[in-house]
Amino acid sequence: MDLEAIASKALAGARIDRAEALELYRRAPTPRLGRLADHVRAHKHPDRIVTYIVDRNVNYTNICVAKCNFCAFYRSVGSSEGYVLGFEELFRKIDETIAVGGAQLLLQGGHNPDLPLAWYEDLFRAVKQRYPAFKLHALSPPEVIHLSRLSQLPVPAVIDRLIAAGLDSVPGGGAEILVDRVRRLLHCYGKATADEWLAVMRHAHRAGLRTTATMMYGTVETDEERIEHLLRLRELQDETGGFTAFITWSYQPANTELGGTEATGVDYLRTLAIARIVLDNFDNLQASWVTQGGKVGQLSLAYGANDMGSVMIEENVVRAAGASYCMDEVEIVRNVEDAGFIPKRRNMHYEILGDPIFRDRDVPRMLELATARAAGDTHVPDELADYEARSRAGKQLRVIPNPETAAPRTCSAGTPPPRSAH
Amino acid sequence: MTITEQELTSLAASHDIISLGAIADGLRRQRHGTNATFVRVAEIAADPSAPIAIAPAAGEARIVGAPPTRAAAADRVAQVAASANGVAVSGFSLADLEELAAREGVTLRALLEQLRAAGLEIVSEAPIDRLRDARRSIEEVNIAGLALARVTIHQPQSTDPMSQLKTVAELQRAVAVIRAFAPLPRRVNPAVPTTGYEDIRRVALARIVADNVPSIQVDWSLYGPKLAQVALTVGADDVDGVSADDDVSQGYRRSPLEEIRRNIHAAGYEPVQRTGRWDVLRAVDELTTQDERSR
Repeated sequence: MDLEAIASKALAGARIDRAEALELYRRAPTPRLGRLADHVRAHKHPDRIVTYIVDRNVNYTNICVAKCNFCAFYRSVGSSEGYVLGFEELFRKIDETIAVGGAQLLLQGGHNPDLPLAWYEDLFRAVKQRYPAFKLHALSPPEVIHLSRLSQLPVPAVIDRLIAAGLDSVPGGGAEILVDRVRRLLHCYGKATADEWLAVMRHAHRAGLRTTATMMYGTVETDEERIEHLLRLRELQDETGGFTAFITWSYQPANTELGGTEATGVDYLRTLAIARIVLDNFDNLQASWVTQGGKVGQLSLAYGANDMGSVMIEENVVRAAGASYCMDEVEIVRNVEDAGFIPKRRNMHYEILGDPIFRDRDVPRMLELATARAAGDTHVPDELADYEARSRAGKQLRVIPNPETAAPRTCSAGTPPPRSAH
Repeated sequence: MTITEQELTSLAASHDIISLGAIADGLRRQRHGTNATFVRVAEIAADPSAPIAIAPAAGEARIVGAPPTRAAAADRVAQVAASANGVAVSGFSLADLEELAAREGVTLRALLEQLRAAGLEIVSEAPIDRLRDARRSIEEVNIAGLALARVTIHQPQSTDPMSQLKTVAELQRAVAVIRAFAPLPRRVNPAVPTTGYEDIRRVALARIVADNVPSIQVDWSLYGPKLAQVALTVGADDVDGVSADDDVSQGYRRSPLEEIRRNIHAAGYEPVQRTGRWDVLRAVDELTTQDERSR
């Protein structure tokens, strides 16, 4: 197959097929691949604007029954290191987010059998009651499937209830590689098959939500399977048009059961570039500075990315696997401008909100990302007592008096009353 | 490939780092083909009381840090040389040695000759922006019978990065003994670190501007595998500072040798291990295969 012919096709804006994508990915020199991706990026974003979002990446629980072998973040049910954030803790995080100009939480967590659908609905309603304009970009497809199984409701019904409670959009986490052979090897087939992940996104799009899509590469998959992943996303995007953006990152191996090594920086730039070329119906590609570091994150802008993602404020999952990069708004903007682009703040829908906040007012510098909780903080939120636990460990936690309050658990001030039936 | 001054100025000002990198990569391939060399370094503190550990895989035993006195420097070199077992002994910044010579009232050459007599083979680095008289000091290194591992840049010059690169090229025209140039600054302001674009542009421009220096080098431990690997695709051909420790506690695939091999391959080059004397040890694939067989 002639590389130049494939490149010409991509330059002309024509769609490339599976074999052509694989050929480019495997054989095109890295600068050639980068130039092609940059051409596609420039065609879609001729204004040279590079966006970013000020939001907070919060993980409401690390307790998870999925047990994916590539994950360093989860803790088993009953683990002394397991946590669930309380509503008040989440409100404090929202207050801190608003203080630095943020208007959204990216809210994801483990598949905790002791958090029923009602907990999520109550949380979302409480957030919307307190912060009506604040957005909830929450619950990746496997979490939605987990809630569907837990509540014995079909996925569309779960999505409808979450929307009614305040869900604004769905993050694309949990996609890993959308090939079931890979998912079985990664022990994530059970949490969501490739078809199930895509079906949740299809339902979300049909329900009027916009979502993102992701790909975690560098575990056990082949080049062909990476391309297959991209093609499955492209196919669904053709059908629904509901994806706002695509984000890819490399598997972070430290502290995981799977172990192994991380894919290299050049692998990342090549994967990003081929994604930009294949995903011709996606407008936005994010740079994953949180896994690649600020420098390769910035170089992503030459390899097809048009968005620097989020300032994050907080990060737990990637840090657990050994990566701990930090970029606050000042640093993101400096990197965008240094690369010759124009930085603009955006929302989840990629609508431009304005110029950098720190140029309008003083915003404290952030040199380290926060964590879900301070080390050693194991307290159990009071309101959990109001929700039925399914696991033995969860049930025990609900009957043991909270040592911090030494009083019967009740809803904290400011939280809404529990729903009548859980 | 000849690049005019005007083209160079235009490239330096451009945000098109892919085109700039491709030009530099073309020049690099003309010189080195698809080989990317690396050296495994055992670092030893200049402090005389610090332990000396030189792993068998080391291609260079490097004394790091500024020596407090001339006698302490010579003693430390002698200690390291006695433990080196044939591994090239390098050490010190030429700028620190200039200062030490001035402080002790001896000529730089006398100091260098004393260190050579103690067992030093190579001066680790010559930071051109810290040297009082770069040309003369580098010539003294040569006259004293020592080699110079690399010319470095201590701190970035924010106003005109090109001037530092041109200085290195001019210096080489005068001394002709610079084997390698590491263009990325050794010290950066942590509050405002250099960006990926800055680093990549600097490496690429270094290859183009310092076209009379054989190798453009990037430091594995200082800049990290990701940036160092990308630098190999835009003009760098040699990786310094790969650990000599064969730590396999996190698995064979995460050992330093395997990691550098994997990164160089993924960048599209062939890994070649060298010593501090620039002797090629073995092609790394051959090395790896033998190591695997022996396990």
